[in-house]
Amino acid sequence: MSFLIAQSLINGVILGTLYLLMAIGFTLAFGVMRIVNFAHGEFYMIGAFCALIGVTWLGLPYPVTLALTIVFAILMGAVVERLVFRPFRNDELSGMIASLGLAMILQHGALILFGPDPQAFPAMVSGVFKWGALIVPKSRALALGIGLVILLIFYLFLMHTRHGRALRALVQDQEVAAVFGVRLEIMYPLGLGLGIALAAVAGGLMAPLFGVSPFIGATPLLKAFIVVILGGLGSIPGAALAAILLGLIESFTSSFISASAADIVTFALVIGVLLVRPAGLLGRAEA
Amino acid sequence: MSSAVTHGASGLRPMALVWALALVAVALIPWITGSTFHFHIAIMVCIAAMATGGLAVTAWVGQLSLAHAAFAGIGAYTSVLLVTRLDLPVLLGLPAGALVAGAVAFVIGAPLLRLRGVYFVLITFALNELFRLIMLEVPEYSGGSSGIAGIPKLSIFGLTLSSYEAVYPFALVCLALVMGLLVLIRKGQLGRRFGAVEENLALAEASGIPTARTQTLAFTIGSAIAGFAGAFLAHYVGFISPETFGFQLSVSYVIMLVTGGRLALWGPLVGALFLTPLPEFLRGAVEYQHIIYGVVLIAVLRFLPQGLAGLPAQLSRKGGRA
Repeated sequence: MSFLIAQSLINGVILGTLYLLMAIGFTLAFGVMRIVNFAHGEFYMIGAFCALIGVTWLGLPYPVTLALTIVFAILMGAVVERLVFRPFRNDELSGMIASLGLAMILQHGALILFGPDPQAFPAMVSGVFKWGALIVPKSRALALGIGLVILLIFYLFLMHTRHGRALRALVQDQEVAAVFGVRLEIMYPLGLGLGIALAAVAGGLMAPLFGVSPFIGATPLLKAFIVVILGGLGSIPGAALAAILLGLIESFTSSFISASAADIVTFALVIGVLLVRPAGLLGRAEA
Repeated sequence: MSSAVTHGASGLRPMALVWALALVAVALIPWITGSTFHFHIAIMVCIAAMATGGLAVTAWVGQLSLAHAAFAGIGAYTSVLLVTRLDLPVLLGLPAGALVAGAVAFVIGAPLLRLRGVYFVLITFALNELFRLIMLEVPEYSGGSSGIAGIPKLSIFGLTLSSYEAVYPFALVCLALVMGLLVLIRKGQLGRRFGAVEENLALAEASGIPTARTQTLAFTIGSAIAGFAGAFLAHYVGFISPETFGFQLSVSYVIMLVTGGRLALWGPLVGALFLTPLPEFLRGAVEYQHIIYGVVLIAVLRFLPQGLAGLPAQLSRKGGRA
């Protein structure tokens, strides 16, 4: 029993880290630009395809591929901000509806380019780590390790650089930030680009584990969505707490009850939190 | 915005007549061409317009629901289960579907509608997902992931509407009833109350309008219409599964509503009329259909915030200014 608990704990933390990668970008886009981005999952999908193209078509090393994926995603974020989201800066609802359209365009664009069939991704590492009865596949450990490093870099960027401070200022109060010289024309595309890059890199990290197809974006979007609601829209610490919480809840419910029960439990939790505390566990209340 | 639309309609009586004639002409197309395929498209337009009309009622009080497909699903399953298990006539199954969907909306409406803007969209998104997951968990009623096939066809007083040509007039009548209900609501006192709540909730509340009750009423009516449309769809297509009523269907209703005009009375009809046949003109390029939907949606949001239904007014205003 204690072994099962420990195994669930490890699996939960791995899941939670991946959910966090997805959720931070989603919550950042809302915090900075007030956009609920339903296309966020499609950038996960695009990241996975970028990794596939880099590793299998171009024969690049995996780390180089991931770095290129990040650069590509940031650029893409800037383009998308300019073409799709900029006209709706002061209109949350229209921005959100536009993101539904963007998601359709991206998903079916990928469908036309790559076809509907799932594509295998070569394994980056094989074998497992074993401690007694506990088992962690090396492929998962690799994804977890790189994910943690990227989260750490992002944290340092956010806390200790000028642009990072500007982003945090925007999340707190747009007008005051603008008065203090935060340039929205730069920070909006950057904020969206970074968020999208985190989603894309999550896609690149998960590709060796789950394979690649145009439809893989839906589940990560749902997870990001759950995490962000639980943590509070726009709150990054809230997202961190909720991501780990969701990872643990899923891993424990699916070990001890069933996987479909895990989904129902989390959605019921989401609806409960929205009803009782719409600002989320750590979010600020809004007028 | 709502006042601008009504003004336009009453000030342009001859124009209204022209539009009505155009609508009748469009409705006659399947009979003119005689093509079964056109009958099918026309029926699908009617069903989509009814469902989107329901979504519009909720939108009139300023709330956008992403759970609309779930309410269509509740209506569909209610009717199908009543007809197949209790041998009820289909003609009773359809209103029963509406009734149950409306009742569910009424019960959960009050707490949900306290949330506004994107938060309401998010919670309805979660509800739609929860509906799908729960239905998958009860395969003895929902058919599970393989769904329910061989659903009894639509029938009126024992007369089965087995051909497309027979279903179409019935679909037109149902659509006319739904649109009639929408006109009644919109032109009546209730419509003004909806408009007041949509434009300025605090002001409406201060003016003595029971805003919470008004919103719940709109949500209940809108969801009941969704239930009716869902039941109609189930008996027409003959197959339903929990996946039929997923996120994607909710999104397509939102796209039709926004494209037609979020607050316009005829928006749902215009949106359904424009977007339902669109993929059929692009046969052989089915993959491009959704891309076109996405592009149309973003373009309409950007350039026609009042939707296609607001296009004539927008054009004449531009012309007047020039």
